[in-house]
Amino acid sequence: MTTINRQATPQEPQNPRDPQGLHEDLHEIWGNPRGLKALTIVNHTTLGLRFMVTGMVFFLIGGILAMLVRTQLAFPDQDFMSPDIYNQVTTMHGTVMMFLFAIPMLEGLAIYMIPKMIGARDLVCPRLTSLGYWCYLFGGIILMSSLVLEMAPNSGWFMYTPLSSSEYAPGLGSDFWLLGITFVEISALSAGVELVVSILRTRTQGMALHKMPLFAWYILAMALMIVVGFPPLILGSILLELERAVGMPFFEIAGGGDPILWQHLFWLFGHPEVYIIFLPAAGIVSTLIPVFAGRPIVGYGWVVFAIIVTGFISFGLWVHHMFTVGIPQLAQAFFSAASMLVAVPTAIQVFVWLATLWLGKPKMKLPMLWIMGFLIIFVCGGLTGVMLALVPFNWQVHDTHFVVAHMHYVLVGGMFFPLIAGLYYWLPLFSGRMPSETIGKWGFWLTFLGFNGTFLIMHWTGLLGMPRRIYTYDTGMGWDIFNLLSSVSGFIMSAGIAMVLLDIALHFRFGKPAKQNPWNADTLEWANFMPPSAYNFVSLPKIETRHPLWDDPDLPRTMAEGKHSLSVANHGRREMWGTDPITGKVREIIHLPGNSWLPLFAAMALAVVCISLLVRVYPLAGVFVIVAAVLLLRWSWENGAHPKAAPDAEVAPGDPPLHSRTMDGPGLWAMAIALLANGSFFLCYLFGWFYLWTVSPEWRMPETSPLSLIGLVLAGLLVTFGAGVLEKCVRGLRQKRDAGLAISMYSISALGFVQVAITLWVLLSANLEVTETAHDAIMMVGLVYALIHGGLGAILTLLQGLRVGYGYVGAHAPFEPAVVAQLWRYNVVTFWVLVGALAVLPRVIGS
Amino acid sequence: MTSNIERLHLTHPLHFVIGLTLWCIWFVAVYGGHAVACAVAPPAPEQGVFTLVNAMLLMVSLAATVLLAVLTLGCCREAKRHEGRLRFNAAVSAGLYLFSTLGVVFTALPILGIPPCL
Repeated sequence: MTTINRQATPQEPQNPRDPQGLHEDLHEIWGNPRGLKALTIVNHTTLGLRFMVTGMVFFLIGGILAMLVRTQLAFPDQDFMSPDIYNQVTTMHGTVMMFLFAIPMLEGLAIYMIPKMIGARDLVCPRLTSLGYWCYLFGGIILMSSLVLEMAPNSGWFMYTPLSSSEYAPGLGSDFWLLGITFVEISALSAGVELVVSILRTRTQGMALHKMPLFAWYILAMALMIVVGFPPLILGSILLELERAVGMPFFEIAGGGDPILWQHLFWLFGHPEVYIIFLPAAGIVSTLIPVFAGRPIVGYGWVVFAIIVTGFISFGLWVHHMFTVGIPQLAQAFFSAASMLVAVPTAIQVFVWLATLWLGKPKMKLPMLWIMGFLIIFVCGGLTGVMLALVPFNWQVHDTHFVVAHMHYVLVGGMFFPLIAGLYYWLPLFSGRMPSETIGKWGFWLTFLGFNGTFLIMHWTGLLGMPRRIYTYDTGMGWDIFNLLSSVSGFIMSAGIAMVLLDIALHFRFGKPAKQNPWNADTLEWANFMPPSAYNFVSLPKIETRHPLWDDPDLPRTMAEGKHSLSVANHGRREMWGTDPITGKVREIIHLPGNSWLPLFAAMALAVVCISLLVRVYPLAGVFVIVAAVLLLRWSWENGAHPKAAPDAEVAPGDPPLHSRTMDGPGLWAMAIALLANGSFFLCYLFGWFYLWTVSPEWRMPETSPLSLIGLVLAGLLVTFGAGVLEKCVRGLRQKRDAGLAISMYSISALGFVQVAITLWVLLSANLEVTETAHDAIMMVGLVYALIHGGLGAILTLLQGLRVGYGYVGAHAPFEPAVVAQLWRYNVVTFWVLVGALAVLPRVIGS
Repeated sequence: MTSNIERLHLTHPLHFVIGLTLWCIWFVAVYGGHAVACAVAPPAPEQGVFTLVNAMLLMVSLAATVLLAVLTLGCCREAKRHEGRLRFNAAVSAGLYLFSTLGVVFTALPILGIPPCL
């Protein structure tokens, strides 16, 4: 049972049931409840739509804020808004558009589309999708409530210190931003982890990496970038909130901190963020252009190359946002060169798209109109991006409207236009109806002309010296007419967007019914029912090519008739394939959990934590941290061989085993990807420690380290020994040996708790003056990190011991200890690195 | 053990990320090393580019370039030897290694002309 059947060749049913009966059976298992129980839904289709609808609501709010800004700037010397309200409005416009619209909207599209494109029935961690949605919604509401309360953040969407620190931003504005955004980022990270694992492990049979739809490549890159790119901002937000709430001086020169550290942490996230937004949008373009050109994309391999290059190089550009802070010329030149490099993969994609259009027979349907708009606007934005990569030019236009114009050309051109193209393209799939070409074209032209009228002109006001984020200007500056034109055009653009939204809203009632696969597309999502069922496909096909629907137009019918694999539902489980990440060969059957209240309740508990921290009622926050932890542990309890998951392991003859009965389930991958995010957070922490040590002008290192080296070494030996014993247990399980497993788990857990106790003693005995020096403050953050991880490892191992007792874990279901072992391995590495960085190096090098 | 060796083979998709990971490590090493060198022992401005810092940065860049170039050639050879999936993997990896090689060369060019700590 524990052996992975890597050569499994699932049998296609000889006498499939009648399609209607199959549909009813699958609906019984996968169907969505109604009424209040709709809050328990974990299905990717429903949650993807919820993400997108919520994202559009936030987009409308962000758009109204933009119009308020343009109204204020339409004429010189306006007092339509006070300076403080203006600052709140501009800050919230940027924040809402970046964090509450762009990323969640694209994540929602990916959550909706990826399983359908890769021939799966759901994402691999459905409850995580649900938790992500609720965290997004609650975080967004918390953040937006600051606007209603007139205490919104007002330090700019990048929250530079010291402007956002308590001295210059008293009140709760910055706290709303820091806590709300961190809460929302739980959602982004959840989606990132599960999209990576889903794409790598749940593609349908035969869909090898080189046959994967390009959209899945783009989303894979985006998801990995989220996993690596978001933790720097999470760390920065935690440090800044600690500075504001407790007084730990991470960004305060006098305390040994440095405000530039915030800029590094923010832009380590912020620049990749631009590509996190661009890549999925480019994925839409690479999906639509071949369909409307009627031919395969030219240079599939080149596009894959460009995606991977973009994903990496975008992490090497962050300092180009900081060219004016006083960095040595040579360092600026490194980042200038790297910024130019990123134009190469972008240009490759543009040429691939043009070549595909050139060699095909493009049909200028409504989605293609938006794609053409994208090509024009995005190329212009890319060119001004290369201009900004040049240090001398960057110095000249830094913090002017030129940068605002460039940013909007890249983000609106690079994300919004492809997004609308994608929405129009997939609208028939969402609703089964076609949009109106007439209203849609009006919407496009108004948006396109309005956009260029607004932002092309801003390049000129920027070159004329108009700074960004000023709430008004004198009439003698020569900016009057340009600002008026910008504002009028902004309202034209708004009218265009309103027409698009009207078209989408009306089509649900008045749109013509769409025929199956209305655009003659090649990818599997069009093999769904329109609108799709909760389980996507009645049976899962074997894929031989990159264009399954072009090569076998009959595939939707045969899939719906259950003539392919996994069309059995009498076991009552939600099932789909677990396949090899490279070859697409079937390895196991993944069984998924059903609808659950736990994600909603966990998100509600986390929301209470967020609000308690905001109003500084720390005991309440502590209580709800425990409540959230208990809910999440309960969630982890209902897995594997638990009666609510998969109590029996029976599968059809010829089919591979259930994933929970192997050593190869997707949970291993999810833990690995989550640890990748965690590792990114940890590396940023180390960066912060060494950065302040090296650069901060008032850094104060004590003569002797306050940390007990003996205590830390002893704790390190315990965690290392515990991890070794756990590895031995996992090796035993691989060989179907589980004698003494429960005792071993309890013993390892005890080792973990002792390690935590010793680390806590080291922390308490160090008498750190965390509000006096950044040195002590950052040391404390490192030790608390070790404590949390040590505690988590100990608790999870304790639970494994209990699960062995209940019969949920053992030689018959050996999977879970291998997942926990990864955390212990991680804990060993990070603990020793911390000991080296915090306790050994200062002793060796000195202050 | 066998699967680990298979992962090292130049037709394995792990090479999609190794080249650019090496580029990132090189980039962080050069940027970080340069920052530390300037904080700890900044050379006199009148030395121009003929400093130990520039020399060390160039050495590191040269080593990264050679390593990446060798991997590029290796992947090119593998791409010619295979068809289908393995050819795709090796060819894309070769392109990515080549880009990483040129990326190191291009980004390191300023070391030849700019003094380190001005």
